[in-house]
Amino acid sequence: MTNKKNKTSSKNKRINKRKKRSMLIGKNKHVSKKIYAKVKKNEPAYFLNTDFGSFYELRELILKSLPAEKDDMVAKINKLGKIRLAIISGIFINKENHDPLVADLLIVGDYVENRKVKPFLKSLEAEVGKEVKYSIMDKEEFQYRLAMFDRFVRVLLDGPHEKLINKLGI
Amino acid sequence: MSKARNILELLFESRARVRMLKLLFRNSSSSFTATELAERMQEPLSEVQREIKRFIEMGLLREVK
Repeated sequence: MTNKKNKTSSKNKRINKRKKRSMLIGKNKHVSKKIYAKVKKNEPAYFLNTDFGSFYELRELILKSLPAEKDDMVAKINKLGKIRLAIISGIFINKENHDPLVADLLIVGDYVENRKVKPFLKSLEAEVGKEVKYSIMDKEEFQYRLAMFDRFVRVLLDGPHEKLINKLGI
Repeated sequence: MSKARNILELLFESRARVRMLKLLFRNSSSSFTATELAERMQEPLSEVQREIKRFIEMGLLREVK
């Protein structure tokens, strides 16, 4: 019996060894990935030359332009689910100096599909040229937060904002 | 409203160029590689590289040394 036990334990050891080896291989994979990322990082990086002749004029023109087309945004947001409310603020309203603590986009809706949200945000951020601080919640949560005078919702509603979609009558 | 954006795109002749300018000016303290720009702009890398070349020739963009 003891013999059998020893056998199994040595078998286990072998398995463990194999496991360790495969783990190592896994680690190596990770390392090679890291190296790859590093190589990518070594490609040249670029930055704006502030000494450029019309730098400030151009900057003014770009920053004062609309971050994103609103009709387009409304159509895309409506496709995410059953949308009751969509509020824009932050970067969409004060294009130059906005409070970094205020959300840029609040979406209230039910049956919002996460797999649709990610590509929507990616394309929105590509158009805006900046990360969009957003929040998505269902109608119940929003109405609870509204009733509780929740700070996040209050700051947004008390500050400069625009309702792109409003089916809640707020 | 929608016309305002179109004016920029009409003026600059390309969506990629407008997106690149927006990204650069809205993050003016950062530097980006061509790959990063393409990823964030959601535009093809080849087009981004072409715009980078143009901007460098214009003197608007500089390479990090």
